Amino acid sequence: MLRRGGALIMNHYEEAQKLLGKVLGSLGLDDELSRRQFLKLSGFSIIGITALGPGLAKGSAKPLIIMEQAEGIVLADPTRCVGCRRCELACTEFNDGKAQPSISRIKVNRNINFGPKGLYTGRDSLGNWGNGLIIQDLCKQCPHPVPCANACPNDAIVVKPPLNARVVDPDRCVGCKMCQKACPWEMLSFDSEKNKATKCFLCDGKPKCVDACPASALTYASWQDLTEKVPPRAVPTAVLPPAKAAACIDCHKK
Amino acid sequence: MAKHGGWAGKVLRIDLSTGRISSEDTVEKYKDVLGGTGLGYKVLWEEVAPGTKPFDPANKIVFGTGPLAGTGAPCNGRTAITTLWPTCWPKPLVASGHMGGQFAAELKYAGYDGIIIEGKADRPVYVSIMDKKVEIKDARHLWGQGIRRTTVELSQQFGPEVCVAAIGQAGENLIPMSVVMNAYSHSAGGVGAVMGSKNLKAIAVHGTGSVTIAGKKEEWEKLVKLHLSLLGANNQHVVPSSPQPWAEYYSPGSRWKGSRGNKWGASEPAIDTGICDPHDLNTIAYRTNNAAFYLGDIAWKYTVRGNGCTGCPIRCHTMIKVPSVAAKYGISEVGMNTCGGLNFGRSFFRKFPDGARGMTSMEACMVGMHMSDDYGLWCNYSQLQRDFLKLYETGIIKNKLGEKEFNSYSWDKYEKSDPSFLFELLPRIALKQGELATALGLGTGYMLETWSLSEEEWKKDNRLSYWKMGHPKHHASEEVGQCGVIINTQYNRDPQCHSHCNFTRNGLPLELQKRLAAETWGTQDAIDALGSYTPMNIGKARMAKWSLIRKELHDSLSLCNWMGPWVASPLKERGYRGDDSMESMLYSVATGDPKSREELDRVGERIFLLHRALTIRDMGTKEMSTQHDTVPEWVYNDQEKRPAYTKGTTHLGRDDVKLAMGMFYEEMGWDKTTGAPRAETYRRLGLAKVAEELGKKGLLG
Repeated sequence: MLRRGGALIMNHYEEAQKLLGKVLGSLGLDDELSRRQFLKLSGFSIIGITALGPGLAKGSAKPLIIMEQAEGIVLADPTRCVGCRRCELACTEFNDGKAQPSISRIKVNRNINFGPKGLYTGRDSLGNWGNGLIIQDLCKQCPHPVPCANACPNDAIVVKPPLNARVVDPDRCVGCKMCQKACPWEMLSFDSEKNKATKCFLCDGKPKCVDACPASALTYASWQDLTEKVPPRAVPTAVLPPAKAAACIDCHKK
Repeated sequence: MAKHGGWAGKVLRIDLSTGRISSEDTVEKYKDVLGGTGLGYKVLWEEVAPGTKPFDPANKIVFGTGPLAGTGAPCNGRTAITTLWPTCWPKPLVASGHMGGQFAAELKYAGYDGIIIEGKADRPVYVSIMDKKVEIKDARHLWGQGIRRTTVELSQQFGPEVCVAAIGQAGENLIPMSVVMNAYSHSAGGVGAVMGSKNLKAIAVHGTGSVTIAGKKEEWEKLVKLHLSLLGANNQHVVPSSPQPWAEYYSPGSRWKGSRGNKWGASEPAIDTGICDPHDLNTIAYRTNNAAFYLGDIAWKYTVRGNGCTGCPIRCHTMIKVPSVAAKYGISEVGMNTCGGLNFGRSFFRKFPDGARGMTSMEACMVGMHMSDDYGLWCNYSQLQRDFLKLYETGIIKNKLGEKEFNSYSWDKYEKSDPSFLFELLPRIALKQGELATALGLGTGYMLETWSLSEEEWKKDNRLSYWKMGHPKHHASEEVGQCGVIINTQYNRDPQCHSHCNFTRNGLPLELQKRLAAETWGTQDAIDALGSYTPMNIGKARMAKWSLIRKELHDSLSLCNWMGPWVASPLKERGYRGDDSMESMLYSVATGDPKSREELDRVGERIFLLHRALTIRDMGTKEMSTQHDTVPEWVYNDQEKRPAYTKGTTHLGRDDVKLAMGMFYEEMGWDKTTGAPRAETYRRLGLAKVAEELGKKGLLG
C-alpha cells in the first residue's frame, strides 16, 4: 500500500513540479526549483495546486498543498461585542435561508456565557457571567498547511478564487466530519440537515456577519496570519492519512 | 426540517404528575393563535377549568414563543409565559409574564415553539431539552439554591451554550411575588411560584437545529435591513437625548443616550458611543444605555457595554461594573438588568444622601439586582417597593409588627438609605420569614387583605400608581390620557403594553406625531401633548384598540412590545415614518403564509378576545365594565385641584373616561354597557365555539 501510495505521490510531484515551473516562469522565476526551495519563497508561494489543475485533486493519497493565501479575513474586536448573535443569524439566514447558529461560520454563542474555556470560574471567567468580554471565534483562512483541508479524505476543502477563501465543496464532502476534528480553533460547522460540513467562505468579499454587527465589532480586512497569535481551542484529533503525512515530511523535514 | 417557515413545528407537553412527555403539531393545532400568549390563552381556555387555583396541579404553565423567535427579525427574544396568576386579586385569573434572554431562540432551535407544563411532580425536578431529547430529572440537589447557582450547575452539566430558565428560593417557597429567570438577568414575573407549586425548579434547553425562512433569503435580508433602519433606541425613541450633528430634533427624555464623549467607561479600553447616525446600522448597539437613562451620567463611567436578548441590536440590559460593591457588600462588581430589575434595590428608598443619581443609588441598584435575580423575587413593576414605602411612611409596618420583629430590622440603616438594609429585607421575602416579608411577598391585593387595609386607599394615592386587582398602572393616563386608561383596564395584572407610549414618547415634535397619528388612526386628535389633554374622541379609541392588538401580536409572534410597533422611525427622509406593516411583512416572509397588516391584526384581535373570554368565563360575570375594567380614583385627581384638561394637568374627567370606555367597547364590537364581547364579534374573529360556550353561561354581550 505504502509503495503504491508512494508511487502515486511521486507521479503527483512530477506533475505538480511541471505546473509550478510554468507558473513560476510566468512570474519571472524560471529557475528549476525544488519544492522545498519553492516553499521558502514565502512571498511568492501564493499558489494552490488545487487551483492549478482539477485533475490533481483526484486520489486520496496526494499531499494537499494549498499555498495561495486568502485575500481577506474577518477580524473581531471582543471589547465591542454585545453578544446579540446577529452575526450568527446573518451568516446562516442570508447564506442558508435558515436561522441556525449551530452552523454559523462565526461562533459567538459558545463563548457568550463563560468565555472560550466554557466553564464558569467566577468573575475570572469571560462572557456574560464573567467580566463581560465576549470572544468572537472566526476562521483564520489558514496558510499552508491548512488543517481542515489536509484532514479531508476527499479533498473537499478547496481554494475559491478570487478571494482564495478555503471553502467546502459540497459535491465532494461526504459528511465524515474529519475536518471538524482537525481545526485547532473548532471553526468547522456541520449542517446535519444537509449532511455536509461548512465553513467561512468570506461571503465573496462582503461578509454578512460584518454587515450585521450593530456594534462595529467585526471588520473585513486584508488577510493576515493569525494562526500563531490566536490560542487554539482544541487539540486536533484528526489523523493525516499516512500517505499524505509521508509527503508532508518530504517538504517539512529540516 | 420544519414543514413551515418560522415555526419550529412542535409544541412540547410535559405532564409532571405522570412523567409523560409528548408533542403536538404547532401549525395544525395553534396556527390560528400564532404562538406566545395566543398559545397560552388557547391552552387555558380549552384545558384549565374555571375555578382552578394557580397552585393547583390542574393549572398549567405555557411557555410560548412565536414564529419569529430565533430568526434574525430584530427584537425577537421574547418568551410569553401564561398561567393563572397568583397575584391577581381577589380571584386569580389568566395572565402572562414575559422574559427575554436566550430561552426563546434556544427552544426554537431545539425544535419546539412552546412548552405546556401540567400536573405536579412528586419531588423537585428540572426538565432538560437537548434538541429532541427531553427528560424530567431529579432536582433535589438544586432545590434551595438560588437562580445563579442553579444555572451554573446545569451549565456545567449540559455545556456552556445551554439556556437555563430557573426559579430561586422565592418560587420554591410559593411566594407569589417571584420570577422565572434565564440568561443572567431576563425574568418573567409572577410565574416563579407556579413553577414552584409544580416542583419544577428549572428548564434547561439547548438546540442545534434551525428556524427556516420560507421566503427567498435575499428578500428576507432586505426586509430585516428595512426593519433595522426603522429602529430607534429602547422603547422606540427615535430622536437622541442630546443634540447630534445629524439630528433635526432631540429630546432629553429619550433613551437614545449615545453621543460623542459618552463612553462605555468600564470597557477596557473605554469605547466612545459616538454620534450614532441612524443610517449606520453598525452602531445601533451604542444608542441605548438604560443605566445612564435611570441613574444619570455617573453611570457612563461604570458601563461595560450593553447586553440583551438573542438577535436584538438594542441591548437594553446595560452591564455595569461598580468595583466598590465587591468590598462593601461582598457581591459581584458586575451586574446588569433594565428598568424595574435595574432599579429593584434603589426603589425601596425615597432618597439618597448623595442624591437620586449618586453612588449610593447605584450601589443600591447593584445590591438589589444581585439579590432579587438570585432569590428570584418579582417587583410587580416596582409596586413592591412603592407598597413598602407607603407601609413604612404611614407607620403601618410599626403598627402591624410585633416589637420583636420590628426591631429585628435595622431601621436606622433604612433611614440613612444604606443599601445593606436590603440584605435584611429581600432574603426574608424569598424565605417567607416574618409577617412583613410574608405580606410583601403576597403581592399588593393579598397583602392588603391580610393586613385588613383598604384597597380604596391605595387607589387614591397618586404616588402609589396602584391600578386594580393587585397590580399597578403601566403607562396609563399620566402618559397617554384616555388611551392609557383603556389599556390599563383590560388585563388581570399590569398590562405590559407599550404600543401606545412607544409612539407618544418617541421624542418627535407634536406636529410630526400628529401627522403620523392621522395616517395611522385616521385623525390627528388621537394623541395629545403630555399635560395638555383634550376630551375623548374616536381616534383615541382606535389607537387603544390598535395598541392592544399589537401587544398581543408581538407577544404571540415573539417581537418585543418594549420596542414596537414601528409607526415612527429616526429617518428624516421618510418624514420620520416607520412602517406599520412591519409585523405582517416579517410574518409573511418568515412563515410563507402571506398576510396583510389587516389580516394579521385580525389574528391579534382574536388572541386578545380569547383573553377577554377567559377573563369573563373565569370571573363568571359579563359585567366587565363595573366588575373588571375599573379605573382608580387617582386618575381623576389633581393634587393642586386644577380642572381636568387644563394645561399642565394629566388627570381626566370621570364622565369623559366613561365615554372613552364606551367608545372603545363599540370599536371592539363589545356591548357598550357591560363591556362583554358580542356573539357576532367572537364569530367574526373565528371564535364561534367560544361564543357558544359563553352563550350557554349567559356571558355574551
